[in-house]
Amino acid sequence: MKNIVVTIFIVLIVAVMVLYFISFQVREIESALVTTFGKPTRPITEPGWYFKWPVPIERVYKFDSRMRVFEADLGETTTKGAVPIIVNTFIVWKIAEPLVFFNAVGTIKEAENKLLSQLSDTQNKVIGRHYFAEFVNSDPSKIQFEDIQNEMLADLKQPVRADYGIEIKTLGIKQLKISEDVSKDVFERMRAERNRRTEATIAEGNAEAVRIKTDADSKKTELLAAAEARAKAIRAEGDAEAAKYYKLLEEDPDFAIFLRNIEALKKYLEKRSTIVFSADTEPFELLKQMPDIKPKK
Amino acid sequence: MAEQNNKYLIPQSPGKPAADDFDAAGKALSEALRISFIILKVIMVVLVVVFLVSGFRTVEPDEQALVLRFGKICGVGEKRILGPGLKWIFPYPIEKIVKIPVAKKQNLPINSFWYYQKPKEFLPESPTTRIRVPATLNPVIDGYCITRSEEHNRVVADSTGSDYHIVHCKWQLTYKIDDPERFFKNTYTDDAKPGQSYADVITKSVKPLLEHLFEDAVVTAMVNYTIDEAISSQDRIPKHVKKLLQEKLDRIESGIAVVSAQLTDITWPRQVDRAFLASIKASQESQKTISQAKGYAENTLNEAAGPVAARLFEALKDETTPEEEKELLWPQLAGQSQEKIAGSRAYRTKVVETAKANAEYLQKLLPEYRKRPELVVQKIYQDAIEYVLNNVDEKIIIQPTEGTRGREIRILLNRDPAIKPKSEEEK
Repeated sequence: MKNIVVTIFIVLIVAVMVLYFISFQVREIESALVTTFGKPTRPITEPGWYFKWPVPIERVYKFDSRMRVFEADLGETTTKGAVPIIVNTFIVWKIAEPLVFFNAVGTIKEAENKLLSQLSDTQNKVIGRHYFAEFVNSDPSKIQFEDIQNEMLADLKQPVRADYGIEIKTLGIKQLKISEDVSKDVFERMRAERNRRTEATIAEGNAEAVRIKTDADSKKTELLAAAEARAKAIRAEGDAEAAKYYKLLEEDPDFAIFLRNIEALKKYLEKRSTIVFSADTEPFELLKQMPDIKPKK
Repeated sequence: MAEQNNKYLIPQSPGKPAADDFDAAGKALSEALRISFIILKVIMVVLVVVFLVSGFRTVEPDEQALVLRFGKICGVGEKRILGPGLKWIFPYPIEKIVKIPVAKKQNLPINSFWYYQKPKEFLPESPTTRIRVPATLNPVIDGYCITRSEEHNRVVADSTGSDYHIVHCKWQLTYKIDDPERFFKNTYTDDAKPGQSYADVITKSVKPLLEHLFEDAVVTAMVNYTIDEAISSQDRIPKHVKKLLQEKLDRIESGIAVVSAQLTDITWPRQVDRAFLASIKASQESQKTISQAKGYAENTLNEAAGPVAARLFEALKDETTPEEEKELLWPQLAGQSQEKIAGSRAYRTKVVETAKANAEYLQKLLPEYRKRPELVVQKIYQDAIEYVLNNVDEKIIIQPTEGTRGREIRILLNRDPAIKPKSEEEK
């Protein structure tokens, strides 16, 4: 009983030690390369538990297979048409093929050195193929900024994979700038554009105000004219209706005219009037003498 | 254990006779071995217990976990990801648990598109320390975005003098990890130092990746907008940025989800401040002028025809408007038009009534007049003259002269001072 326990214990310890020397784990986040007598033999990209010969014979090199970011320095380059432009390009990369990576570069630092020169090359080459107007344009349909990034990615992807075993996951331009001298010109342009806009705004506002006012005035005139026309029509209706009653006057026109004149007379002399009479007129003749009247027989 | 040791050791301590030495030595050895075994057994049991207990791990409510067995994520499909709770795994080196905070939203401010500010510029402004604005932007220290210009200044693709504007902006990104497996496998994080959990190093480790991708998305999106679109803080731009960023994050299988991309601040360059402010002021003033004009228009129309003015005008202009509809509008008139029409109505009534009254008067008088024409005429005439003379202010009666030579009379009419001349009355 005692012996069995001891044996198991010893076997376990020995087994663990042996396993430690002849096996290794590759985690999800890494890839590995096994070298036999210093010569790379087995690249491993699948995670799991692997066996190997103990150290002097086989060695294991592990590489982190997760994505890393690497950015080139802020650099000035020129577009097609020789416009200076300042871009800051970065890539997201990972070690895809441990064998190639081990042979060509080996360490992350070395890889970054290689990537820097490759990235600068690509950046200058691709940007040199495009006009500045393709980076930014007043016509949005002509902007090819995303395409330019994709073109850089395509240009870089293949050779880097073949040469260094590095996969470029994505590429981007994180700063798009212009040189310091040019910024002065841009401000000048912005200022001029803004001033022009200011003037245009004022002019447009005034024009619009005038338009609204004159529009209202002309509407008023038209409305009043329409109302006048309608008023005239109503008056005409009145006159027409009144004319119906004139028929009744036809029975004795002279008398009707007499009555009308009487009315007019009363009306005209109603106020503010001074009348000069001859003493001969009735009834003022009474002032002169008694009338000569006698009862009719 | 100490007690046990004592129990076995006590018989030895008094010392036995030499004859029993060998026996005693053998006995002692076997005793020692026995003790060793027991110690060993206890140690083993303790080790096994420690080994097993060390497999318990708590996954916090805001976390999800992956279990690596010999470095490979174990489980299939959804079982690969463990939710919160107490979990047991085979201890190191067989299994390893990776806990990833998935529910936690992280904020990441991006200020790299803002101009360089000297430390003193952050101090409260006092009149003595006026900030001198440099005439240019240094590409190394000043950050900005390039926006496109207005469409009417269209530049052809092959021209060199492309037109664009500069804008400064500040952003805030809110993100979370939504796919722990992808995140763990693909996104680089620093190794956790002793005492640090994986969660602790995540935020710091993903910062460069997110910053780069976010800045790329901002630059890429911004060139598609004009400075005015950008400054009016439309929701469109943050949405565009968010979309671009999420696309890239998905393409590289980062397992990170963008919760929101916020434009926290945006401004035109300080160098052109005055021109922009003037422009804003101009457009405000322009609006004011227009609204004043609108007020005037409203007043004018109201004066002319009251509230229905606009509708009536439309109806009059539009020939398809049915007459009935117009007739409905007319009675609602107000203002000067209404006065005109009301006046004409009064006229109509008056004219008709007068004519009617006259006719009736005549009709009534006629029978009498036919019987005694002279008397009737005389009566009416006399009444009228009387009425007139009663109302006349001044009556002057003159004796006619006999003979051929005429006489001249001059009458000084003393106008009633209470009556104003007509021209004055109008005023």
